Amino acid sequence: MTSRKHAAVRKAADGIRKKDDISLVDVLTLAEASIRSMKSFIDSLDSSIYREFRDIAEYIQKTKKEIGHLQANDLRSRHIPEAGHELSEVVTATENATTQIMECAEAILEADASDPEAYKALVNDKVMVIFEACSFQDLTGQRIGKVVETLEHIETRVSRFASAIGAKDEPGTATKEETKRKKRKKELLLNGPSKTGEGVSQDDVDALLNN
Amino acid sequence: MSVDLSMPVLVVDDYKTMIRIIRNLLKQLGFTDVDDAADGTEALGKMRQKRYGLVISDWNMEPMTGYELLKEVRTDDSLARTPFIMVTAESKTENVIAAKKAGVNNYIVKPFNAATLKSKIDAVFGE
Repeated sequence: MTSRKHAAVRKAADGIRKKDDISLVDVLTLAEASIRSMKSFIDSLDSSIYREFRDIAEYIQKTKKEIGHLQANDLRSRHIPEAGHELSEVVTATENATTQIMECAEAILEADASDPEAYKALVNDKVMVIFEACSFQDLTGQRIGKVVETLEHIETRVSRFASAIGAKDEPGTATKEETKRKKRKKELLLNGPSKTGEGVSQDDVDALLNN
Repeated sequence: MSVDLSMPVLVVDDYKTMIRIIRNLLKQLGFTDVDDAADGTEALGKMRQKRYGLVISDWNMEPMTGYELLKEVRTDDSLARTPFIMVTAESKTENVIAAKKAGVNNYIVKPFNAATLKSKIDAVFGE
């Protein structure tokens, strides 16, 4: 309230206090003076609230747009299941190839070497099967490549989204099952195979055991 | 003490392929009595039925890991002295130290070869 408007309110209030009978007109005069004095404040309040809501609406629009760019439904219904399928195929292919190779190796080991010609023929035959089985690496390599591509696709989408909305990680989002698995991994030291170049070598292990 | 090639050996791993590989390697080394189990719980059951001269176990298995199996074996008076070799992809220092503290006799990191398996078995039996 400006001091002039404040004075107007005080004058109206003082006028009413002096009277023995306060009329409706007096009350209305006081109310009018009060509202007039607060009008500029209320006007400014409306504008600032309007601006806030407008900013919030714009942010919501932007976030909705970024969510759309994330293409979460496409990731969930197509890319991720396809990647899972490719990995299953890799497991199957490597298992089949390993079985084939091992069967050949076992056959060679168990073969009767007393007849050199027959033995040589068997070994040649089994070695060719081993070479053929090794072709799994080409196919599994391609499948893994597709999975890597999917992961990169997801990473790009998620990074862009997180950056656009200024996302911050919130704790406590793990499910009960995830928490349980994490606890088990930690307690039982289930680290899994190390990356190439990391992890201890056999010589390191021997040194640790002999220490 | 030399290695008794007729002693029963128990191979514990949840991957059938790895069991097959180790079984074949042991066969090449001359071992004739080789059993297998898919995890620590099954292994413990077999060990309570039959006396094994050596256990070769993976680490990461469910429901019972090789680490838990090792600890169970070492706390069971009837099994405590069973030679135990860990053969595993777990290659962090903390794993090796934990296994050592739990009483493992030897520790082989995957991938490994036949010569390594032989030398670690020989080392356990003082050869």
